[in-house]
Amino acid sequence: MLRRTFLTVAAGLAAGLGLTVAAVAQSWPDRPVKVIVPYAAGGATDAIARPWSEELSKAFGQQFVIENRGGASGMIGMEALVKSPPDGYSLVMSPNAVLSILPSLKKTPYDPLTDVVPIGYTGEVLNGFVIHPKAGIKSMNELVDYAKKNPGKLTYASSGNGTANHLRLEALKIRAGIDILHVPYRGGADALNDVLPGNVLMQNEPITLPHVKAGKLILLSINGKVRNPDFPDVPTMTEAGIPDADVPIWFGFFGPKGLPDEIVQKINGKMMELAKDEGFKKRLWTVNSIVEPKTAAEMRKLLEDDIKANLEVIKKGNIKLE
Amino acid sequence: MDVFSNLALGFSVAVSPINLFWCFMGAFIGTAIGVLPGVGPVATMALLLPVTYFLTPEGALIMLAGIYYGAQYGGSTTAILVNVPGEASSVVTALDGYAMARQGRAGPALAIAAIGSFIAGCFATVLIVIAAPPLTRMAQQFAPADYFSLMLLGLTLAVVMASGSIVKAIGMIFLGMLLGLVGTDVNTGNTRFTFGISDLFDGVGFVIVAMGLFGIGEIIKNLGDPERRDLVSSKIEGLMPTREDLRRSAMPIARGTILGSFLGILPGGGGVLGSFSSYSLEKKLSKTPENFGKGMIEGVAGPEAANNAAAQTSFIPMLTLGIPSNAVMAMMIGGMMIHGIVPGPQIMEQKPGLFWGMIASMWIGNLMLLVLNLPLIGMWVKMLLVPYRLLAIAIFFFCAVGVYSLNNLNTELYFMAFFGLLGYAFIRLGCEPAPLLLGYLLGPLMEVYMRRAMLLSRGDPMVFLERPLSLTFLIIAAVALILVILPNIRKARQEAFQE
Repeated sequence: MLRRTFLTVAAGLAAGLGLTVAAVAQSWPDRPVKVIVPYAAGGATDAIARPWSEELSKAFGQQFVIENRGGASGMIGMEALVKSPPDGYSLVMSPNAVLSILPSLKKTPYDPLTDVVPIGYTGEVLNGFVIHPKAGIKSMNELVDYAKKNPGKLTYASSGNGTANHLRLEALKIRAGIDILHVPYRGGADALNDVLPGNVLMQNEPITLPHVKAGKLILLSINGKVRNPDFPDVPTMTEAGIPDADVPIWFGFFGPKGLPDEIVQKINGKMMELAKDEGFKKRLWTVNSIVEPKTAAEMRKLLEDDIKANLEVIKKGNIKLE
Repeated sequence: MDVFSNLALGFSVAVSPINLFWCFMGAFIGTAIGVLPGVGPVATMALLLPVTYFLTPEGALIMLAGIYYGAQYGGSTTAILVNVPGEASSVVTALDGYAMARQGRAGPALAIAAIGSFIAGCFATVLIVIAAPPLTRMAQQFAPADYFSLMLLGLTLAVVMASGSIVKAIGMIFLGMLLGLVGTDVNTGNTRFTFGISDLFDGVGFVIVAMGLFGIGEIIKNLGDPERRDLVSSKIEGLMPTREDLRRSAMPIARGTILGSFLGILPGGGGVLGSFSSYSLEKKLSKTPENFGKGMIEGVAGPEAANNAAAQTSFIPMLTLGIPSNAVMAMMIGGMMIHGIVPGPQIMEQKPGLFWGMIASMWIGNLMLLVLNLPLIGMWVKMLLVPYRLLAIAIFFFCAVGVYSLNNLNTELYFMAFFGLLGYAFIRLGCEPAPLLLGYLLGPLMEVYMRRAMLLSRGDPMVFLERPLSLTFLIIAAVALILVILPNIRKARQEAFQE
């Protein structure tokens, strides 16, 4: 009897809650929306978040305000998101790594698939492995040949242990069956300081691309499904004969668990429109982001695939943070 | 000519209206806060560091540099007028400057301090322009092993040059290193000394440490001290120095400039060493050494020039190697890191506008100080009449807002309060906080460079001795350490600092 009463009350509560949520979703947004960026202002993620927030503010008539909550490889900002109410007024604009790599490496205060709801895709970064000319290597084929003959002799500077570009190295090592020495740095700019004079030979970061244009470094391949339009002659990893080693880096808007689907669709619809706008696409390309329209469901599939592929690299590469 | 095209680029950046504005603001705010007793340039820069976050990198560094020489100028002003040196390097200025002020010659003393600083500043700026490119080219060849040895040398010299007890300086450096190691280890991704607090995973923020130790700590100390208001009551008449004053000051300014420029480049050097050395040099060369301390204009001109020259040339190791030689340069590096700029030899090539713009702005800033501040002296004096207990509240408020604006975290305010109390304890114990700040910045870098060098050498420690640069730095560090430990040199050092 008691049990039945409880169930009735619970059902009534749930119905009532559903109603209010629907009402909230309909009037959304009637006040400014907070966009958490889980990295410091001025960084690559911040640079991509700003044009998007600006355009969404225009589209919805409410300010999308960026709040930089950096720290612990993005974990702190993502934690702030999952602790926020799912009312559509707290979102996050984050790279996939915070969800697709970090939870497989350490205990995170969120589950990437159950605590976070994908909303819209803000673009992919198209860069790849670069090498210092003093290594005398000009293509991915030559690199693999050289590394097979001289295991562990090549050196690679990553922006830190367990970062996406560390995983890119491990994926290359696994798929090509070669050995390269990993040297971790505190961020990509720090790493570049040792790659430019050739103290360390290889890197995989967007900030190396201007130095490729200046002829100081050689771009061997692109980690992605398509080539980088600025370097049309450089093949993708798959084209260079090393498939399934991309470790893609992309960015997107996410909300906390329980975010009404109506709000997700509202934002996603507008973002799909923006992703087709040539002017906006050009603007995003200046911050190294190439964008295409994706539904929330497609984004979720992308995230699931990433988590699976990354976990395999982490296991085979024996990457540990603790 | 490369030098001229570089300077031209620098001036084109520095004279843009917005950067001129920040340069002016830096110099102006710096002077204003420098005038306030007890708050020196390091504290001022620490307080304003979060503000620079909202500027362009160029504007930020130009303003920070402006605060530096502005605060130094302001510090000399209070030293002369109120006998309260705004910072350590103006201690010497107070000796003869205040004596002059009591004789009603505050105007000439202030004017000579400004003119001497300006001349020294111009000379040092030219020196930076000439010395920076070759030094940078050399630094670009540095491998991780060389950096490790260079930093070891820098910390060793910081100990040797520290004005207080050597043991305390070493203790502070190690404490700083420990603080610097809090957070995520680069090589393993493991977190260290964080006690599971996720706000510590990225370490203790530089702004928090600097603001607590230098800002809050000093304010608490000043509030504890009885207020000193021995203002010169006699009106300041005749601002301009006489022809005789100028004649007597010319040589001390020239000597001070050269001495200061040289001492400024040394790690751990900077203004203090320059002004002290210049004062004793002038006293030795003077025909009437017994008059020093009784209002000799040479005792103001020489040290002020040396102080400013050293202040300027201490930018050289920071700009070319990315290594802070003193606490002020540590602040500049903090300012760069806030903007995501990694200090190091690559700055000159990757951000020439920033690099040369900042150097050019130093010259403009010094000129601004000269032109703007002489007429404003009356206003600065009035500002001294605001009770410190009221100012302290305003500064506290400013610190809190500044720290909170960086990451929107309450915990960081608690950390700052903690470092404020710690800073106060250090002052009471006679421990200089500057070596701690150097240890905090250089310690974790040294660790990373050492492990990186070992990783690249596949575990062979000989890499530190095989590279000629690294070996040279290690030998110099060893010699400096041995010298300072030898008993008779230690005695001479103590005497030198007592003077």
